Amino acid sequence: MSQPLQGRLALVTGSGRGIGNAIALKLASQGADIIVNFFRRRDAAEKTARDIEAMGVKAQVIKANVGDPAKIDEIFDTIGNDWGHLDILINNAASGVGRSVMDLDVKAWDWTMDINAKAVLLCSQRASKLMEGRGGKIVSISSLGSSFVLPTYAIVGVSKAALEALTRYLAIELAPKGICVNAVAGSAVETEALKFYIKEGLIKDTRQATPAGRMVTPEDVANTVAFLCSEEAFMIRGQTIIVDGGTSVAPFATPE
Amino acid sequence: MSVEEQIREIVAKIVHVDKSLITREGTFKDIKADSLDIVQAMVAVEDTFDIEIPDEEAQKFQNFGDFVDFVERCLAAKERA
Repeated sequence: MSQPLQGRLALVTGSGRGIGNAIALKLASQGADIIVNFFRRRDAAEKTARDIEAMGVKAQVIKANVGDPAKIDEIFDTIGNDWGHLDILINNAASGVGRSVMDLDVKAWDWTMDINAKAVLLCSQRASKLMEGRGGKIVSISSLGSSFVLPTYAIVGVSKAALEALTRYLAIELAPKGICVNAVAGSAVETEALKFYIKEGLIKDTRQATPAGRMVTPEDVANTVAFLCSEEAFMIRGQTIIVDGGTSVAPFATPE
Repeated sequence: MSVEEQIREIVAKIVHVDKSLITREGTFKDIKADSLDIVQAMVAVEDTFDIEIPDEEAQKFQNFGDFVDFVERCLAAKERA
């Protein structure tokens, strides 16, 4: 039986570790060939690529800081030359500087906005050209920090709000080209980055307070991304789907 | 210009300090560089010399001299390849 994404090509930015890694593996498990983009950890990206190839699909590793427009051009020039097309873009790569609003400076603002917001615009623009005539899916990864105030999360939250607004505009402008654009926002997702926040006392260990009874995993986010990349999600456009085990709709919930 | 001098210029520009303050024995902490400065310096040096500085290697640098020595080793390896 053919797999739902067989013969499709997906670029997952920042897919060496964490949520990006889970998304890359999920899409590969559905038959997609994967471009694994990384910035700082080649060993992790190469491990992701080996795991993808073990599923019988192709993987290509591309190093690039998506905060640099010239590097984004390099990614898409490579994909254009090597593959000639793209079916799925997952804007997952993210960075940030943990500071309060009043401690933010221009450098921290530019660094975070370049990677978390500007790259979403530039990658989507380039990707949509490689999707011409074949349709496509663009899914960007947001977080609840776009709508809620989290300690030292200001600039990341602002960048994710920009990402979500951009998702709506892209969804409408790219709809005539058959490209579906959406976002997925997780709450505290169980990753290495989250462990740092808990260790530093910046957020509480939310395991007990999540109505669904456990923390959100990278695989939970990846499952939703995979759904948005399926034809069943064709009529979902410009939305940010929240994956948080119910946390955001029950802010006053206490553990039993 | 030597590799060491080029790296010194890159770091000085990113951290906004006079390059005379960057010594082989000195650390990023000595010149009040924050974590973002350090990442940007690594990226700029990688781009300038077309090399990769894995995070796990960067974490071993005790001072600026270690940083320079690592870059010089990368360049020597590149030349041999």
